Amino acid sequence: MSAEGDFLDLLKSGGFKLPGGDLSGRTPSTGATSAFQPTEGTTILALKYRDGVLIAGDRRATAGHSVIYDRADKVIDIDQYSVLAISGSPAIAYEIARVLEHSFLYHRRRQLQEMSLEAKLRRLSLLIRDNLPMAIQGIGAVIPIFATFDNAEKRGKIFFYDALGAQFESADFSTTGSGSPAIRGVMFYMNQWGEQRFAELDRDAGIGLVLRLLHTASEYDSATGRFEQGADIFPTVKTITADGLSEVSGEELGELYGRFIERTPGL
Amino acid sequence: MMLDEPYRWADAVSNRREYVEDQLTGGSPVVGLGYKDGTLLLTMGRVQQKIYEIYDRIGMASLGHPTDIEKLRQSAVDLASVVGFNYSDADVTLQQIVHFGLGPAVKTSFDEVYRSPFIVRILLAELDAQDGAATFYTVDYDGAFQKSVGFAVLGGNAEADKAMQGRLDDLDWEKLSLAKAMDAALISWAAGRWMGEQTEIPEDEAELEKALAEADLPGILKAELESLVVEAAVFDRGVPGKCKYRQLTDKELASALKPYRAAQ
Repeated sequence: MSAEGDFLDLLKSGGFKLPGGDLSGRTPSTGATSAFQPTEGTTILALKYRDGVLIAGDRRATAGHSVIYDRADKVIDIDQYSVLAISGSPAIAYEIARVLEHSFLYHRRRQLQEMSLEAKLRRLSLLIRDNLPMAIQGIGAVIPIFATFDNAEKRGKIFFYDALGAQFESADFSTTGSGSPAIRGVMFYMNQWGEQRFAELDRDAGIGLVLRLLHTASEYDSATGRFEQGADIFPTVKTITADGLSEVSGEELGELYGRFIERTPGL
Repeated sequence: MMLDEPYRWADAVSNRREYVEDQLTGGSPVVGLGYKDGTLLLTMGRVQQKIYEIYDRIGMASLGHPTDIEKLRQSAVDLASVVGFNYSDADVTLQQIVHFGLGPAVKTSFDEVYRSPFIVRILLAELDAQDGAATFYTVDYDGAFQKSVGFAVLGGNAEADKAMQGRLDDLDWEKLSLAKAMDAALISWAAGRWMGEQTEIPEDEAELEKALAEADLPGILKAELESLVVEAAVFDRGVPGKCKYRQLTDKELASALKPYRAAQ
């Protein structure tokens, strides 16, 4: 009897390859610069607030110094309680997200039980590792944040990965992407010595903080897009609580933007 | 044995039919019924799950050998999932699962006289398919499939199917509430059960119809509920997200079964 029931194996048996899969046999590039500029982007961040996890990302995708797209969605629903926020190459990240989403559903339907959180994390880790050849060549690294709500422990959880697939759990917050260096220290400072620790923030204050952080990142990183109300471009902000996943509407973001960004006083 | 001689081959097939039908006769019937907000699948059993989610809007219920059911269920999930991934969720249809997957698989196994056939009858439901709000397929043990809109039933044998269908024919299913649909499905199940238990079936159709009309179907439900539990699941348009499958809540089940439970 074979241990059937893995979705990626099923796909591979039908000839499926991840975008980086074709490169696996080739010698990694020697570092010579190529004219090819992969599309990448981003600031994404996640933090634990009172009810669970807030996870957010800007909307910009860039290639080199060019803005490719200002409405990219980098915070992708995987299931009712899980979100994958991606920085790095969207081509591969979207494919990883898609494989992951279908894997979880497939597992539930085929094995007649939800995949455990541990197994979900392992699947993601393996997918990132499968992408290693692309990461080494510098054309398609994917560095995601995975956020979920652990119903057994009744609390939100945030995990982040390196390009080789190593997995780390964040205690309070996490941020990755080209804009993240601009806000990482700010997040640490705010959580440590701000008026409230992140874990005590209510929903509005949490979203307000997230908007401020993304705005700060966009101030110093050209690859991070801004909130543009006139053009109807909002960052993606989602909450994950015991009730599941929900996206904060553009309308509400507009209102909170007015309260938290256009007005200066502290939180 | 010389199965390549035509009459022996026909003989072997007929033996096979008899064998499989004999195995299926005692099985608990399954009912699929469309209602106002979705599609209902219902059966009764001990504890083993018999109603399954295949894809976002596609479900399956069956009677027969548990391992055979499992094999076919898994291959249906595989087929649907691969198409859903490689194309899109909208490209996964029940028609495709039955025409390209289950139908041929069951037929092949039935035709291979040297191997044991699948002992199954399968009922599949699709919510909001291209050609109807509630579309059903049944696949019989010999691979013969049948499409229907509104409702579909499977009992232990052809007579049971007919008895069950008779309870649902006149329903205006598109207007049914879930509670009404549950009740209709339960009565249809009881009709199938009653017919499955008749050792001598009257040749004359009118006589059979009369006997069925006189059967105490609520009484059968009451008696069966002493030892069996109702399993019911719906594909409900009201479920948020793309996956519409949900099992009925204890409250919904309890209120549907109230008339058939002995007073405590």
